[in-house]
Amino acid sequence: MSVLQSPSPRANASPAGNAVRIERVTKRFGSVQAVKGISLEIPERSLCGFLGPNGAGKSTTIRMIMSIISPDSGSVEVLGSSALAMKDRIGYLPEERGLYRKMKVAEFVGYMARLKGVHPTGLTRRIEDWLERLALPGVSKRRCEELSKGQQQKIQLLASIIHAPDLLILDEPFSGLDPINGRLVTDLIRSEQARGATIIFSTHQMHTAEALCDKVVLINKGEKVLDATLAELRAQHDDRGLVCEPRGNPREFAEKALRSGIASDTRVHDNGTVDIELSDAHDASSAMAAVLAIAPMRSVALRRMNLDDLFVELVGAEDGQSRKGARIDA
Amino acid sequence: MRERPQQSYLGKIILIAWREFRHTALTKGFIFGAVALPVIMFGVIAVIPKLLTEKSPPLVGEIVVIDPTGTVLPRAQEILARKRTLQEKIQDLAETPPADTGSRLEAAAELGSQEEQRIEVTWRAAAEGETADGLKALLAKGSLIAGASIGADALDPSKEASSFELFIPSSLSPKHVGQVSRALRKAVEEERIARSGVDKALLARLSDLPAPRTLRISPEGSEAKENTELRFIVPAAFMFLLWICVFTSANYLLTTTIEEKSNKVMEVLLAAASPMQLLAGKILGYSAVSAVMLVMYGGLGVAGLSAAAMMDLVPVLHLVYLGIFFIMAYFMVASMMSAVGSAVSDLREAQSLVGPVMMVLVVPLMLWMPIVQNPNGMLATIAGFVPPATPFVMILRLTAATEPIPLWQTIASIVWGFACAFGMLWLAARIFRVGVLMQGKPPTPRELVKWAFVR
Repeated sequence: MSVLQSPSPRANASPAGNAVRIERVTKRFGSVQAVKGISLEIPERSLCGFLGPNGAGKSTTIRMIMSIISPDSGSVEVLGSSALAMKDRIGYLPEERGLYRKMKVAEFVGYMARLKGVHPTGLTRRIEDWLERLALPGVSKRRCEELSKGQQQKIQLLASIIHAPDLLILDEPFSGLDPINGRLVTDLIRSEQARGATIIFSTHQMHTAEALCDKVVLINKGEKVLDATLAELRAQHDDRGLVCEPRGNPREFAEKALRSGIASDTRVHDNGTVDIELSDAHDASSAMAAVLAIAPMRSVALRRMNLDDLFVELVGAEDGQSRKGARIDA
Repeated sequence: MRERPQQSYLGKIILIAWREFRHTALTKGFIFGAVALPVIMFGVIAVIPKLLTEKSPPLVGEIVVIDPTGTVLPRAQEILARKRTLQEKIQDLAETPPADTGSRLEAAAELGSQEEQRIEVTWRAAAEGETADGLKALLAKGSLIAGASIGADALDPSKEASSFELFIPSSLSPKHVGQVSRALRKAVEEERIARSGVDKALLARLSDLPAPRTLRISPEGSEAKENTELRFIVPAAFMFLLWICVFTSANYLLTTTIEEKSNKVMEVLLAAASPMQLLAGKILGYSAVSAVMLVMYGGLGVAGLSAAAMMDLVPVLHLVYLGIFFIMAYFMVASMMSAVGSAVSDLREAQSLVGPVMMVLVVPLMLWMPIVQNPNGMLATIAGFVPPATPFVMILRLTAATEPIPLWQTIASIVWGFACAFGMLWLAARIFRVGVLMQGKPPTPRELVKWAFVR
């Protein structure tokens, strides 16, 4: 299995070190090996996206970071100590949302805050302020069951950040949110990072991860298949591909690009565009000139790194699938 | 990394316990159930006999008696018409078979009744040649409310008492059957006495022997009036009090644990507290709920006995035993309920796991009588050492004992009981920490054991 690693994870860590450090962690449930020797480091104050298909082992890894379950082998270090000892400095929004249905909103959030060590003095005011900020004014005295699904989700998010955690773990924070609330949560995540918190969130929404994350970890079938910063991924993948829209037959164009040595691999899409993987003999500018020379073109552009494609490529390769489009190899 | 306040280990347990207590004991539902319901029950008990007597229907119709001697009918007529004395009513109650619950209830209700029932019965002696079959035919047509055939032997005092035949239509109420039957029986009885030449008043005086005045003498020499019924009722009251208080709160523990699992709030809680803290907090919180019920109901009972000057039935030592065995019983039952609650996803699944446990726990309820009758017998002694029945059986034995239970047995049962309670608590904690995160099909008992010993 090819694992895209950042060249030197420590080089990217803040001087303060890593918020999370996992070494060769494994976890088995009966006959299923959910996590197979994952190691990773998440620098303090970074925003790390946990990506992977359903059942990949993301939630299990997160639960081990949270010390909700113990690993069978390997070690987990959170905020420089054991996960159990650091529970009060971690905020957690689980994938499956849970509230005490009969409890009033302020009471529920207050209860979670008290469990995390927040002093009761000024807590009510703090909750009210947060509710205002989350566009939930006047709900503090309402029972949790009386709120809409989206409102309940925001209450759960509030319960995970009310104690100003140093590490915030959000499992699918955007699921079930409309675009307005999604933006609100995005802003909240950014502001928490700006406050100094390290944030880990798992998501299926690649564009969100791309927009928010400093670093992404891709887990598939219990193994880490990608662990790199967005900057590293862009450096690796940008400038090594072109998106061409030929005036003529795209398939013929793709074959010409391969024959002429411009491309090492091509992919023809239904919309008439052709992705070109540059051969080692060309850089982006020389390839552009060469492409224009072999066929009349509507447009030629540098291909930007796309997490969606990367995800499909890394996960799909495992499952025998490939990116959408007809592939023509050299 | 900056320092920040953290909640202490014990602080989290207390917070969880307080939330559980507050959201159970300080709710309208609990207050209604715990306070209002017993009041309503007492009210219903007080009102039901009154309702039974007030609705007493009149007895109207014709009764035909085949009475060759012609002596029974006038007596029966007179007996049915006269107002019964309290003594007669008590005798009726005593003579009604225990299995005939309906008649006993009516007889008991009549004790307190001052209301005169309307009786408009026409008594007729059977005509010459009128047979039992003829009476039956009239009854079938609805012309009579009863018919009776009294043989000559029934009235002969020199012969063994033989009864008479009474025919009734299917529509006659049990109460009216009792009234007619009683009147005829008493008439036959009076006729037999009259024929024997014995003075009826003398006979009543001789046979109406009041119950002896029984005094129980303590080892210190003090005398106390014996009350056999209360000697049975008080130990049962202790055991039922223990049972109700422990099971009510343990049931709350079971349902809230299942609810937290099905609501998915469990994972949120586990992000803030360890499974052990969560379990300890929940058990502690519901122990307070249970204690509130014990103090409330127990206090009411003690206040009632005190008001009736019957506190000698409940010595202080028995209340101490109640406290000790309450703690033991609560921890045993709560351990089981929390383990089961953590392992399943809904109440239906819980039933199959709770079932076997409940079978052991109903043993003290079923063996209440034999244990109270012989608290030092083999059955009581052995049952007192079988957990989780230990606390319930021991409180029965200790409060029922007319002779003291050997001290070693009391001490051994307390030590053994608490050892078992802690063992069960340990097992429950092991199962709880695995179970709370499990979803899907409920575990088998074998899997539960596996969870208890998994790393």
